[in-house]
Amino acid sequence: MPKTVLVIDDDRDIREVAKASLELVGGFMVIVAGSGTHGVAVAQEAKPDAIILDLMMPDMDGRQTLSQLRLLPETKSIPVIMLTAKVQANKQELVSEGAAGLLVKPFDPMQLPNQVCVILGWSVSREDVGRNGSAKG
Amino acid sequence: MAPQKADELRSALERVWLNSKPEAMSRVATLIRFAENLRSGTRDEMSRESALLAAHRLSGSLGMFGFNEASSCAAKIEALLGDGRTPDLATMLRLIEHLRMLMEKTPESNGEQERRDS
Repeated sequence: MPKTVLVIDDDRDIREVAKASLELVGGFMVIVAGSGTHGVAVAQEAKPDAIILDLMMPDMDGRQTLSQLRLLPETKSIPVIMLTAKVQANKQELVSEGAAGLLVKPFDPMQLPNQVCVILGWSVSREDVGRNGSAKG
Repeated sequence: MAPQKADELRSALERVWLNSKPEAMSRVATLIRFAENLRSGTRDEMSRESALLAAHRLSGSLGMFGFNEASSCAAKIEALLGDGRTPDLATMLRLIEHLRMLMEKTPESNGEQERRDS
C-alpha cells in the first residue's frame, strides 16, 4: 500500500508538479488542496501519511494551517513539511511550531520524493523507487 | 531513478508548463504594469502587491520547469519589491525584460534541463 501525501498549496503549478513528481517518481498516492482551510478538512478526512504545506497562502497561511493541524486529534501526529521560498525560510522557527522539516521552492521535481523521504526518515531510495515504483516505509 | 520514470515525469512537466505558460506570462505582464506605474510616478500599493505576488509565484515555480535562471531573476524582482523602498526603475525594467526573454525559451533549452538530460 503506497503512502499518501497531501499537498496544500494555492499555486496550481506547484500542486500539479508536486503531484506528478511524488506519484511518478516516488510511487506515493497524492491528494491536493488549494487552501489551508480545504487542506485541514481533507487532512481530517483522508488522514494522509504526510502533508506538504505551503507557507505563503492567502486567507489561512501555512503557519495558521500548521497550527490547526497540530490542534486537531485526527491530524496532530501527521508530519508536516513546510514549503517555502528561500527568502522566507526560518527552519528552526517552523520546526518549533511543529513542522517536520522544510522544502525550498523551486524544488527539483526529480529529487522531491527523495527529499521528502529524507526529511521524514522514510526508508526509500531512488533505486528502490526505480525498481518497484512504490515507496516503502 | 529508472529512465522510464524520469521520462514520464519530463513529459508530465512539459504538459503542465504548456498549460501554465499563459498564466506565467500574465504574471510578467503584471510586473510590466507595475514598472509602467513606476515610470509615470503613480504610487499604487495594490499594483505593488500584485507585482510582489506575481514575482513570488514566478520565482517559486519557474525552476520546477527547468527555468532556473528565470526563477533567480524573478527572485531578484521579488526582493526589490519586498524591501519596502521604491525600486529603481532601470533595474526593474532590465530584470523584467531579462525574465521575459528567459521565459520565451523552451525548458529543453534551459541549462538545468540540459544538465538533467545529460
